[in-house]
Amino acid sequence: MASASTKYNSHSLENESIKRTSRDGLNRDLSETVPRLPGETLITDKEVIYICPFNGPIKGRVYITNYRLYLRSLETDSALILDVPLGVISRIEKMGGATSRGENSYGLDITCKVCGDQVECGCRCVLHFCHRFGDLLPDMRNLRFALKQEGHSRRDMFETLTRHAFPLAHSLPLFAFLNEEKFHVDGWTVYNPVEEYRRQGLPNHHWRITFINKCYELCDTYPALLVVPYRASDEDLRRVAIFRSRNRIPVLSWIHPENKTVIMRCSQPLVGMSGKRNKDDEKYLDLIRETNRQISKLTIYDARPSVNAVANKATGGGYESDDAYHNAELSFLDIHNIHVMRESLKKVKDIVYPNVEESHWLSSLESTHWLEHIKLVLTGAIQVADKVSSGKSSVLVHCSDGWDRTAQLTSLAMLMLDSFYRSIEGFEILVQKEWISFGHKFGSRIGHGDKNHADADRSPIFLQFIDCVWQMSKQFPTAFEFNERFLIAILDHLYSCRFGTFLFNCESARERQKVPERTVSLWSMINSNKDKFKNPFYTKEINRVLYPVASMRHLELWVNYYIRWNPRIKQQPNPVEQRYMELLALRDDYIKRLEELQLANSAKLSDPPTSPSQMMPHVQTHF
Amino acid sequence: MFSLKPPRPSFRSYLLPPAQTDDNINSQPKIKKLEPVLLPGEIVVNEVNFVRKCIATDTSQYDLWGKLICSNFKISFITDDPMPLQKFHYRNLLLGEHDVPLTCVEQIVTVNDHKRKQKVLGPNQKLKFNPTELIIYCKDFRIVRFRFDESGPESAKKVCLAIAHYSQPTDLQLLFAFEYVGKKYHNSANKINGVSSEGGGRGGIGAGSGTTSQKTPLFETYSDWDREIKRTGASGWRVCSINEGYMISTCLPEYFVVPSSLADQDLKSFSHSFVGRRMPLWCWNHSNGSALVRMALIKDVLQQRRIDQRICNAITKSHPQRNDVYKLDLEKTLPNIQEIQAAFVKLKQLCVNEPFEETEEKWLSSLENTRWLEYVRAFLKHSAEVVYMLESKHLSVVLQEEEGRDLSCLVASLVQVMLDAYFRTITGFQSLIQKEWVMAGYQFLDRCNHLKKSEKESPLFLLFLDATWQLLEQYPAAFEFSETYLTVLYDSTRISLFGTFLFNSPHQRVKQSTEFAISKNIQLGDEKGLKFPSVWDWSLQFTAKDRTLFHNPFYVGKSMPCVQNGSVKSFKRTKKSYSSTLRGMPSSLKNGVIGDQELPPRRNSPILKHKPDPLQHTDSHNSDMEQYFREWFSKPADLHGVILPCLSGAHIKLWKLCYFRWVPEAQIHLGGSITAFHKLSLLVDEVDTLSRMLRQQRSSPLEACYAELDQSRMYFRAQGPHSTSGTPEFLSSSFPFSPVGNLCRRSILGTPLSKFLSGAKIWISTETLANED
Repeated sequence: MASASTKYNSHSLENESIKRTSRDGLNRDLSETVPRLPGETLITDKEVIYICPFNGPIKGRVYITNYRLYLRSLETDSALILDVPLGVISRIEKMGGATSRGENSYGLDITCKVCGDQVECGCRCVLHFCHRFGDLLPDMRNLRFALKQEGHSRRDMFETLTRHAFPLAHSLPLFAFLNEEKFHVDGWTVYNPVEEYRRQGLPNHHWRITFINKCYELCDTYPALLVVPYRASDEDLRRVAIFRSRNRIPVLSWIHPENKTVIMRCSQPLVGMSGKRNKDDEKYLDLIRETNRQISKLTIYDARPSVNAVANKATGGGYESDDAYHNAELSFLDIHNIHVMRESLKKVKDIVYPNVEESHWLSSLESTHWLEHIKLVLTGAIQVADKVSSGKSSVLVHCSDGWDRTAQLTSLAMLMLDSFYRSIEGFEILVQKEWISFGHKFGSRIGHGDKNHADADRSPIFLQFIDCVWQMSKQFPTAFEFNERFLIAILDHLYSCRFGTFLFNCESARERQKVPERTVSLWSMINSNKDKFKNPFYTKEINRVLYPVASMRHLELWVNYYIRWNPRIKQQPNPVEQRYMELLALRDDYIKRLEELQLANSAKLSDPPTSPSQMMPHVQTHF
Repeated sequence: MFSLKPPRPSFRSYLLPPAQTDDNINSQPKIKKLEPVLLPGEIVVNEVNFVRKCIATDTSQYDLWGKLICSNFKISFITDDPMPLQKFHYRNLLLGEHDVPLTCVEQIVTVNDHKRKQKVLGPNQKLKFNPTELIIYCKDFRIVRFRFDESGPESAKKVCLAIAHYSQPTDLQLLFAFEYVGKKYHNSANKINGVSSEGGGRGGIGAGSGTTSQKTPLFETYSDWDREIKRTGASGWRVCSINEGYMISTCLPEYFVVPSSLADQDLKSFSHSFVGRRMPLWCWNHSNGSALVRMALIKDVLQQRRIDQRICNAITKSHPQRNDVYKLDLEKTLPNIQEIQAAFVKLKQLCVNEPFEETEEKWLSSLENTRWLEYVRAFLKHSAEVVYMLESKHLSVVLQEEEGRDLSCLVASLVQVMLDAYFRTITGFQSLIQKEWVMAGYQFLDRCNHLKKSEKESPLFLLFLDATWQLLEQYPAAFEFSETYLTVLYDSTRISLFGTFLFNSPHQRVKQSTEFAISKNIQLGDEKGLKFPSVWDWSLQFTAKDRTLFHNPFYVGKSMPCVQNGSVKSFKRTKKSYSSTLRGMPSSLKNGVIGDQELPPRRNSPILKHKPDPLQHTDSHNSDMEQYFREWFSKPADLHGVILPCLSGAHIKLWKLCYFRWVPEAQIHLGGSITAFHKLSLLVDEVDTLSRMLRQQRSSPLEACYAELDQSRMYFRAQGPHSTSGTPEFLSSSFPFSPVGNLCRRSILGTPLSKFLSGAKIWISTETLANED
């Protein structure tokens, strides 16, 4: 091991020098073959046979940097390029041994994340994809490289890849901390909690902003700034915290601008087997109910299946009983836990990889239950949104810890209720607020830089949320400012470790690591390139509540994400979007020509000129 | 016996409002005394007052009060009550809001609550109880329900029996179209302006100056075929007139196209050997000279080889390169008509099933089990293979089928939709239906089961529209028409006023209508049978404004320049892109340098789990085809050239507008693809207006342009009342149709919540009913 790492170091130094020389204009051909971000350095490169699942073995050269694995085919008739951020790698294995016979049986097997299982990568489509989406590849695949059984080439490559794909296990920094990209907007300023609460009209007579968690003393996984009922003192909050799992007390996520009903989020009460009660918690929930002066009960949505909620009593958790909470009405939303979701997505991979299941596509899809889970999450969010929008009652949402299913439900309900979140910046704020600041454990769920691919903490909860958003955008093609590319970019960088946005589990950890100071925000990249992520059909509407139809009749597998690498699934720019852009160009052209003609005519006739915009008053303002 | 009763004394006939006027729904004069609006030749058979039309099953709060009428054309419910909760009604000029044409009725069920009895009513049946309720299951998936709690029990019973009787006529001539057209002929004898634009119909459905109104060729005449030969450049083919007067075959058109090298005399002698005397029919020619031909089987075993050889030789001779003929036996590779019908029945049950929630859990597998999508896919796949033969292999293709009038219609027309952009325009598509369905002897009467006694019912035509919809969904910019057009076209097969979809063959129309004319003393002159109105005369059904909904705003027509990055884009697919310049590694690598077998897959390796791709076979023929498809998909599609379907399971979808439009739970309020359609329409309209202004500016000063500004191809207008604020309130995924009143279901109302919480099952499904008496 020790010798291997020294070897690696020498490699690294060697390539540093290559890079330096290339900056001086020397050795240009090598450095220009691999795209590089500022701060990205080439570690090693090697000739390999890439075993393409669609087209068989292809001879190529692989370049490994501290950010990506890049492969280019060396065969003249093949235009294959692979460009994979190391962050998406879940596992690296050696295949074959020194005694293995046959060609291409000795090499490396690289598994990518999302399913944490064997997945491979497409070829031709990958090339197209690279052009279209810039820099990233999807992750439902694995890569196999065959190497020559000479020297220690495989061992070297294995060691290098392992170190840089799993930097945390080798006391190396994540690439986000090395990235020196500069953008003209700063994504870290997109979300300012005080401003966001002010936008919602908070604080007001019933709700106050508290700094009780300024140093993360009340709850280490909550943000510093919280909105709580005006009449609840900080002392009350501390007493409630004792009774809520991981001290995640009920706090406000969103308030309806007119009827003043609210969406609250928290973790499960610590009821336990004995059915403990806590007067402070009960009183606190009553305070929440009273804020909108309605006599109706407070609605509690427990995201879990009731069985799971009951089972949680054994470990000290549980749910709000009718006896203890007279003024609340609890219903379960039957959404399963992170393990079920992980397994479900694994099954999705099985039916799309390496070939898309053809003859029994629908029943295979059904057997993954993925869409069924999507349906349950959406249905839950619709119920929350409906309760609040109809002004029937305020809603309290929790699951076990209140950072997975709870985040899904509150953020989706807010997306349905508040058109602000359907703009590009609004959506960034929503993610930043409900997911990042409220402690969705991105670090554990994704396993950034971590080698433990079988970690039970990993789960595609955030991906599932983005899938739900995509389903909504399919049903309401004009309601969102962003397009599919935006959602895919978010998911790509959820894994890539290029940006600091999704790193670590909670705000306190990010503060300790000085993430905003030391890394670039994903929103910097997106907001400085907004046009690429805009939906041309977007029609801005205020105060319209979106109710998607959460029915299997409408839910679809997100083919453009889950199967985008498959050469048999046609990757094409959205023809409808494309047509719209063409027409916009045509319109502008016509307007220009019309104005020119009118100028010419008016000069001829010496009539007062009538501009086309006067004749069609909407022309200039409509879009 | 079934016969038309003499008109009652109270009978009043209302002529249709002038078809061209652009009046909207509200301006229709109110009928004070609940009188039916009747067409010429339409008579009221029976009626009952104080009927309640049920809107929801869980409440009677929204029910409508009115009069239920059975005429010889439709079931009509006339009411003064406004429709509750309905924001939009797409009005058919031939039918009232609550009307159901008799040919659209699938099943009639009468119920008596008190006696807990129910009965499916056939024709000439007795009803032993007085019905309290009437449920009409329609062929277009609607379910309409009426209650007779307050009406006279005897009259209610009579109306039910009349509906059962008149919706299941025993004879073709009892279909309303005959009465209607007969009346027209009588009227025209008295008037100077008699039968108007019947027959051809206007192909152009828009009033806008953007489209030139073209007449749809009906292929009833020699010249229509001749023009088609010239249009496709089919030099080795000629129009043959040996079947004039249907002397050779009663299921072929009078004129059709054959290889030039075959003499009339040969054809006549061959004809006896073919099933139904259906000789080879030319469909279409590729610009490379290969031809698409459809042919019935040769039943004469002794002559089989000889005739087959002669025909094939003749087709080869008609090919400029003398290329071979590729024969495709459709019956071996595709589902048969019974299987397709069985799939459709299952699909229908699944789509209207209640409660909605119950089918949710197993929705995907249930949908798969209907096999409908599998069949849609099979037809698209085989048609794409024919495209490959014609386009890439330069081979003429002969589609073979027993009679050559079922599967052949579908495959022949799909192939042409994929290959020829003309058939993706409205006029072209209509001419294709005339050519490959109506004239080629597709048995609409039997397959649509207008007389409700045919064992031969099968929705092949719908399957064709569905497959076309899949292509439209995948290539929205390649089609001039919208999915509304396809849906409305499907509905038109259920209106027995048009001659287009009424007969088993052109000969049947002539024969039956001549008989009818004689019995009614109608002078036909030198006309061959009665001229029934054509479906293509869309002005009979929709106002000019409503017809603009047929236009697809995504369409990139030839006349519309397509600007991208400032330059006008036009990529023409040339021959060489298919031939030997195959880029990339695929098959060369597979079969060449590094073979598959040299790769010993590791245990548990994904390579072991590879499932065989259906398109990937070892023989070279299939790998060439695979190669062709791969090549094609690797490039941007030329919308004026060939389009090929994506066939993966994820790409073949359910045509929701057609099958879910009546299902309230599946309706996305203010959503669905129509919202993008709306947004784009506004832009297209704006571009059209600007382009008109530009033209005007060039030719003459300002004033002239205002007259033209009023015309538009688009339903949604940039300057119209809708453009002021975002998405119009009445838009939904069902638009322009409305579930309200068309599918008597729970949860038509209320909050979105109720859509997800299933309740008690309110009423019985079709299956349960059919077995009881």
